[in-house]
Amino acid sequence: MVSPIIKATGIDKYYGTYRALTDISLEVANGEFLALVGPSGCGKTTLLKILAGFEDLSAGSLVIDGEDMTEIPASARPTRMVFQKLALFPHKTVAQNIGFPLHLAKRPKPEIDAAVRRMLELMHLKESYLNRYPHELSGGEQQRVALARSMVSQPPVLLLDEPMSALDAKLKKSLQAELKHLHRHVGTSFVHVTHDLEEAMMLADRICVMRAGKIVQLGEPSEIYYRPANAFVAGFIGDTNLLPAEVTREGDAFRFSCDVLDCPNPIIAADQVAPGVAAGADAALMIRPEMLRLLAQGESADCTITGTVNEFFIRGASIQYRIAAAGTEIVMDIPGTSTLPAKQGDPVKLGLALGDLFAVEA
Amino acid sequence: MAEIQKSWRDGALRLSTLPLLLLMGLFFVIPLIMTALLSFQGTQYYRLVWTWDLKVWTDVFSQVHYWTIMWRTLMMALVCTVLCTILAIPIAYGMLHRLSRWSDHITLLMVFAFLTDAVLKTFGWVLFLDRSGVLNGTLEAIGFPPAAVNVLFTPNATMIGMVYNLLPYTIFTIALSMARIDGDLVLAARDAGASRLRAFIEVTLPLAKPGIWAGAVLVFVLSLGVFLEPKVMGGGTSPLAAELIRQSFETRVNWPLGAALTLVLIVIGAAALTVAGAVALWQARRVVND
Repeated sequence: MVSPIIKATGIDKYYGTYRALTDISLEVANGEFLALVGPSGCGKTTLLKILAGFEDLSAGSLVIDGEDMTEIPASARPTRMVFQKLALFPHKTVAQNIGFPLHLAKRPKPEIDAAVRRMLELMHLKESYLNRYPHELSGGEQQRVALARSMVSQPPVLLLDEPMSALDAKLKKSLQAELKHLHRHVGTSFVHVTHDLEEAMMLADRICVMRAGKIVQLGEPSEIYYRPANAFVAGFIGDTNLLPAEVTREGDAFRFSCDVLDCPNPIIAADQVAPGVAAGADAALMIRPEMLRLLAQGESADCTITGTVNEFFIRGASIQYRIAAAGTEIVMDIPGTSTLPAKQGDPVKLGLALGDLFAVEA
Repeated sequence: MAEIQKSWRDGALRLSTLPLLLLMGLFFVIPLIMTALLSFQGTQYYRLVWTWDLKVWTDVFSQVHYWTIMWRTLMMALVCTVLCTILAIPIAYGMLHRLSRWSDHITLLMVFAFLTDAVLKTFGWVLFLDRSGVLNGTLEAIGFPPAAVNVLFTPNATMIGMVYNLLPYTIFTIALSMARIDGDLVLAARDAGASRLRAFIEVTLPLAKPGIWAGAVLVFVLSLGVFLEPKVMGGGTSPLAAELIRQSFETRVNWPLGAALTLVLIVIGAAALTVAGAVALWQARRVVND
């Protein structure tokens, strides 16, 4: 990384004796889109508030845009926040809301007007909205006004605190696409808090997965999805199969044994094993549902699983099967077809490539 | 909206307003009408006589003395309203944000003071402000000349008493509306670059407006009717309207005059509130058109 816009080093945060954050160190590159992901109470919002200046840090240091932030109040930081509940000023019009940061900076009125109109265009908002009040707009429009307000003064860093969590699924999808587009267009660094790993994977350049006030894994979306550090990260998205297994080193590679999987040659490469497992921790084999396929009679694969269909769900683009095998339930997603390949109670044989396996810390 | 409109056509709902209508009719509208009727009668030998003439009203409009008192009452009420509002805003804000840990304790103390009998509290002030009272005694002890503060039995003392007795109304209404403001809005203003003071002026104050207006109206209406403070603390030297009305009824036993003066006071109060309401509405419109 050339010169990070945000550099957090060893941040701790205590509320009384409760430790909300433990030794958080991370860097955000200029123009990067970083997602902070974790279950509620993991400290992601606390970290965002520390970046914004709404909370003090108990230990560690924070440098944003080359400046130490310890003594800098929220009002003077190079960051802008998009709030979870948007926090649009109900007594100000859309134009006044968007122009507020410039109004505070005592910029001349024509300049504010021009900037507000520019933001309006960027956010695909109608000009007739300028004199309306926030409560007269729809949820999606309010979202855009909130984004416009936080971007109008072109801050180097934009902090987003789950601003999409209150929207319905369809609107969420379209706004996610817009947000990604916006990020490319303006070149501002985004730090986006969400509890939705799918959203994070869609949007972010890198994802920071947090749990109980600590960073569990920090990496690109594909790394988080295919190379999760442990069962927690692996299980955070979708219905993931995690099968307890014994993993032992064998030369450069690893040998595994697992009750559910039937593999003639159970050897996986070193990069298919999480560092913790390589160091000797208890292991589980992660199999994403879409990595499994249904084997036809007589067809073979690197590894196979035999079982019976418990339940299936037709989801349009895919069909999800839940299969009882060796005392556990396996989830499999296959591409949707008009003819069902298997029904409830049918005996099935599933296939899997060795290269798709990944051993995580259990 | 549809729900609200429908509710007016709902017979059962309309029926449910009956007790309130009855109460207001019996104890507000009818007495008001009786007062109005009373003002057209006369008195003879301390007896009410049914004359149906305008004698009392010509009396009221020709006596400057009455209007001096009405004017003084209106001015005292306005000043008291302004003082109560100005004092209550920082108190309410401080209670909620700076002393939030103690806000329950402060509220409790205020409720205690509020519920204590007004006569007791007002006489307490007399003991405190007297030439040889607690305040002057303390001041003397730390080196001031004797009777340094000589405010008792002046209109200023009346004002102190009025503000003291009416302040809780503004504090409670303003604190209530401030507490309902989403804390994120203030944070959003701070995040956008506003200092604490600026965030207060741009966000907290305008959003607390309903509470500020409600408190001001309450205090204004109540301060038009004060009689204890001018009598006890003001020493009766500059009586206000309520005292004048009391005298008409009790001392002079001229009920028609008292009724007429009561109506004058009600009209002045209503007119002042109408003007204030119009100003508030005009201001709200101006904000929209700005």
